[in-house]
Amino acid sequence: MSVFVIIYYTLLLGASCLAAYFNKRSAFLLLFSLTLVSFVLGIVGGVGALRAVAIAAGLLALAAMVSYAFREFLIAIASHNMAKELRTAPLTAAFGMFVIFTYAIAGIFAPWIAPFGEAQVISSAFAPADENMLLGADQLGRDMFSRIIYGARNTVALALAGTVLAFTLGAMAGLLAATTGGYFDQFLGRMSDVIMSIPSLIFALLMLSIFGGELANDTTSFWLLTGFAVLVGLLFVTAVAEGNVMSWIIGLAIMVGVAVAFAGGMLVIFNPSEIILVLVVAVIYSPRVFRLTRAVAGNVVVMDYIEAAKLRGERRWYLIRREILPNSAAPLVAEFGLEFCFVFLLIAGLSFLGLGIQPPTADWGSMVRENATLISFGELTPLIPAAAIALLTVAVNFVVDWMLYRSSGLKV
Amino acid sequence: MTKKKDVLLKIRDLKIEGYSDETWVPIIKGVDLTLHRGEVMGLIGESGAGKSTIGAACMGYARDGTRISNGSIEFDGMELTTATEADRRMLRGSRIAYVAQSAAASFNPAHKIIDQHTEAPLQYRLKKRLEAQEDAMELYEKLRLPNPQEIGFRYPHQVSGGQLQRAMTAMAMSCRPDLIIFDEPTTALDVTTQIEVLAAIRDIVDEFNTAAIYITHDLAVVAQMADTIKVLLKGEEVEEAPTKEMLDNPQEEYTKSLWAVRSFESPQKQRPKDGVPLISVRHVDAAYTKGEKILDDVSFDIYEGMTVAVVGESGSGKSTTARVITGLLPPMKGEVLFKGTPFPPDYRNRTKDQLRQCQMIYQMADTALNPKLKISELIGRPAQFYGGLKGVALKNRVDALLDMIELEPSQYYNRYPTELSGGQKQRIGIARALAAEPSFIVCDEVTSALDQLVAEGILRLLDRLQRDLNLAYMFITHDLATVRSIADEVVVMQHGKVVEQGPKDDMFTPPHHPYTDLLLSSVPEMDPNWLTTLLEERGIDNVGDAAAARLDPKDPKLTGANA
Amino acid sequence: MGDILGLVAKRLGLGLVILLIISVIIFFMVELLPGDIAQAVLGQGATPENLAALRKEMGLDQPAIVRYLGWLKGAVMLDFGNSIVTGASVSETIGTRFANTLFLAAYAAAIAVPISIVLGVLVALARNSIFDRVANVATLTSISSPEFFLGYILILYLAVKTGMFPAIASLREGMDFGDLLYRTFLPALTLVLVVTAHMMRMTRAAIINLLASPYIEMARLKGTPPWKVIVKHALPNAWAPIINVVALNLAYLITGVVLVEVVFVYPGIGQALVDAVSKRDFPVVQACCLIFAATFILLNLAADVGAILTNPRLRHPK
Repeated sequence: MSVFVIIYYTLLLGASCLAAYFNKRSAFLLLFSLTLVSFVLGIVGGVGALRAVAIAAGLLALAAMVSYAFREFLIAIASHNMAKELRTAPLTAAFGMFVIFTYAIAGIFAPWIAPFGEAQVISSAFAPADENMLLGADQLGRDMFSRIIYGARNTVALALAGTVLAFTLGAMAGLLAATTGGYFDQFLGRMSDVIMSIPSLIFALLMLSIFGGELANDTTSFWLLTGFAVLVGLLFVTAVAEGNVMSWIIGLAIMVGVAVAFAGGMLVIFNPSEIILVLVVAVIYSPRVFRLTRAVAGNVVVMDYIEAAKLRGERRWYLIRREILPNSAAPLVAEFGLEFCFVFLLIAGLSFLGLGIQPPTADWGSMVRENATLISFGELTPLIPAAAIALLTVAVNFVVDWMLYRSSGLKV
Repeated sequence: MTKKKDVLLKIRDLKIEGYSDETWVPIIKGVDLTLHRGEVMGLIGESGAGKSTIGAACMGYARDGTRISNGSIEFDGMELTTATEADRRMLRGSRIAYVAQSAAASFNPAHKIIDQHTEAPLQYRLKKRLEAQEDAMELYEKLRLPNPQEIGFRYPHQVSGGQLQRAMTAMAMSCRPDLIIFDEPTTALDVTTQIEVLAAIRDIVDEFNTAAIYITHDLAVVAQMADTIKVLLKGEEVEEAPTKEMLDNPQEEYTKSLWAVRSFESPQKQRPKDGVPLISVRHVDAAYTKGEKILDDVSFDIYEGMTVAVVGESGSGKSTTARVITGLLPPMKGEVLFKGTPFPPDYRNRTKDQLRQCQMIYQMADTALNPKLKISELIGRPAQFYGGLKGVALKNRVDALLDMIELEPSQYYNRYPTELSGGQKQRIGIARALAAEPSFIVCDEVTSALDQLVAEGILRLLDRLQRDLNLAYMFITHDLATVRSIADEVVVMQHGKVVEQGPKDDMFTPPHHPYTDLLLSSVPEMDPNWLTTLLEERGIDNVGDAAAARLDPKDPKLTGANA
Repeated sequence: MGDILGLVAKRLGLGLVILLIISVIIFFMVELLPGDIAQAVLGQGATPENLAALRKEMGLDQPAIVRYLGWLKGAVMLDFGNSIVTGASVSETIGTRFANTLFLAAYAAAIAVPISIVLGVLVALARNSIFDRVANVATLTSISSPEFFLGYILILYLAVKTGMFPAIASLREGMDFGDLLYRTFLPALTLVLVVTAHMMRMTRAAIINLLASPYIEMARLKGTPPWKVIVKHALPNAWAPIINVVALNLAYLITGVVLVEVVFVYPGIGQALVDAVSKRDFPVVQACCLIFAATFILLNLAADVGAILTNPRLRHPK
């Protein structure tokens, strides 16, 4: 029995007794059940297991403190109304915001933070960590740490682009379907049913098997992007122009221009295979966004104030912009976070399978795959990019969880 | 009527808190209550008075999100606030029973009615299953449910609302409790159905000499049921007195004001001699897609500056008529004329000016006002949309409109609807309709969601605006008191048909059409003997659904309608 | 009862139509390729004669619609043609693999379903307590982690460091059942972790939703003891949501299996699909996609039919 074990149990039992004495029921339950679990763990896993528990508890406490401080920081710099909202955020949500903030910083300033380039070979394969390389080298001798920092930029940007595209298409179609109704609504509903009947990962694999090869070139991706943008634009023009022929013509002209500019812009940022990936993701997730937007907007559309606006003779675009959108914003924002997680996990999964983001671009999913062999030597390294993925999705989910609770659980 | 017997329930200084916005706020702020055996006490008050919360507290029960923070609740010598949950539970169902507002939602859809009825007696081992079932049938018969032998073996969704409410009363009686809490048991029912349920409840409570707490917001109903009345306001007691005394001689200002509500009556206006009606509904048939006909040959006229009340029970087609007039539901047959020229049946084909002429005010101000828009935009939008007003002109117009509805412009201009009270919201709804400068407004149950005093204010406002602006109203309501106070003409509807129409004074003086008669006689009056007298006059089998079923559909008065 | 049969029949019909549309999508998507499969098989250097011969052999000279009908007819009889990489029959290649995948999914489901429903109900009952919150954070974390993260953690700690279980789930002919369960324990556990978290959350939400209904309050006010409120009043109405939760997650298991199979090198259909996609072996890709989609639709169908069958309003019409 080492000194560590004695201190460990003394602290736990002392804390439980204090909690019980001061009638802190939940704290006592937590502490004492931890003590009981520790008995079992200690017998099975020995001192090592207890040490792990202590380290985990320390990390947890550290995370809680960081979250608390970050929340206070946000409250201090936010406007009055925002601060009021933020005060209701649980520590988990504050932790989520902190992580998202850190990732954003890492992604935006990647070239300045990372000591080496993402494709720069600086040592031998699988070289261990030293003072130059914080996390060692990967299978080609590139700096692991730098690649993880760059991964924050590449992977997240791609997932974000996919989510935004899926969201524009799905939300636009959902809003239009909710305000138009009739066959248009029925048709879109059935179509999304069909697409959602194919499991997302499977559908992604199917599409990548077709567009992944020689079709992943500049011309194809340009036309696919333009087609996608035209589709969104068409929905947009339908919503704005209604029966007016003149506005249709003007709208269509503007729309084609915007579509081409958008496609060109995307090609500057991403390479063709990444664009195919983004589009695949957008096609798979837009029906989900459509269905949710349709449901949320559907609840708003039946309200009397929409009827009042319709009877006033308001146009569809006014209905969407002033009446429906402000009243469905909260669930839609939460849904955006949720969709981002799905998209992010899907892209990570595809990259892990070697079918997503292609080398030499640094990407967390493919980094796990490339370094997986290290696992059998008991090395933690391949788990780091995987943990980076998990940490971001956990963080986003924490924030979304809070937002969903705000928008549904508490009706003021 | 007052019975001097031993005390059954004694509540002292009860305080209850509710959890909202991360803090505990008081809901009940120190209420005392003493109930004797066999006594029926009426708890009345407006919404938010805490009636239901006290009702639940009488069973030692605090709903999710509330807690009893102080005071004592003593039931038959047993202190409920300090008793264990198990002890309190032993009282529920056996000695204190509960009848909820919505029987349809409070019966478990997965079990037969009689199985739910016998659950408590079996649980407390008071009866064997067969005995309990026989007892249930007996109670069903006492409560005058049709087919008492068979009705219990149906599932809740197979039985109508009025019958379910009686079945729930029977269920409360299953263990012959000492006390029953009735929580607004007839609020969700139509007047003609309500009367059956009231009669049934009163008889059975009398027969078993059960004490009861009867919670309602309807004074006339409580006058029929209760021996004593306790008036509540915002979680505090206003006063308590025996029913007769309370009705004749209320002490507190608040109670007096409640009693005085029904005094407002606008003088009846006459149709102009030979004018064209502003709105004329001609032989309209209407149905929702694929459904059966909701409206069947509906015709009536509305003249400029006059109020036509359309009366009927739920499902009679009142609101559908409004939808036809506004163009939301194009009719299958017939047409709507505006000043003699036909209105396009679909609102989408109407011109901006036609849309402007016909405005609407809704029942639920909560859902009728976009919660994300400021008052200034809510009211300003129609003025901007129809009148093209901008900038200062628009602001002046909004100010004038706020003045018109008696709200201080500077105070309300920048606020959101969620910050307003129910009555204020309804006023904003009125202002929005006025902003279009219409000649005709459809008022769909505009006062039924409001407390009586507030409703009174809205009615007076509407009446004044009508005189100032020469507006015509179509007033949809199920409440005959509202009809009495504001209508000039009345249209009575049943099953999608107009059964009678004419000037208000004619409608309220006999002889009536049989359905109008049933409707009129079913509305509770403040006289505590009203129910007794009515049952004697009409006979117990000639009220409610039974009476409605008796109306002969081939009666010439039903088909003809007086044009 | 006629109503119910009608509804079920309608739902089945809808499922069939969706499956048909999906088969169209799966088949015609491949047609989008520039050139055709023959070109893809032979590569750029193929002579026109060779191409023509292969096209004839594969029936590519016929119009697409004829080929689709032929393919569909084959698919109904579980004949998906031959692989263009190995030339072996697709059905034979993926047949046993599909069985392996089903085994793994069933293994995971057998553990996850009972655990998560019981835990979900318990957490719903103790809602807003400290355990509810801990469970909330734990399940959220588990849901948010990619399957390969969980898989590798399990490999690292349970296989490499402690050596309790094999890291690679290789299957041999004639393994006894106990050995089989032991060797596939880690992949099954990975799936269990993800699915349990999902199911727990959904069960919790369904139960909490139900506990707010007035008839539950009525039951409490009738003096019904808490366990009876749950068993007699809540549960009969909870079947529909619970069936839905289970079916949804089984469907998720079927697809989540792809990543797990790759991590543990498990010889299932998921790995076959991934290999086929990187080798662009279209007959195999099509067959796998159709099988996955059909399973997915079937499970959703089962959920809807279950919900219809347990709805008291539909079971006892007016």
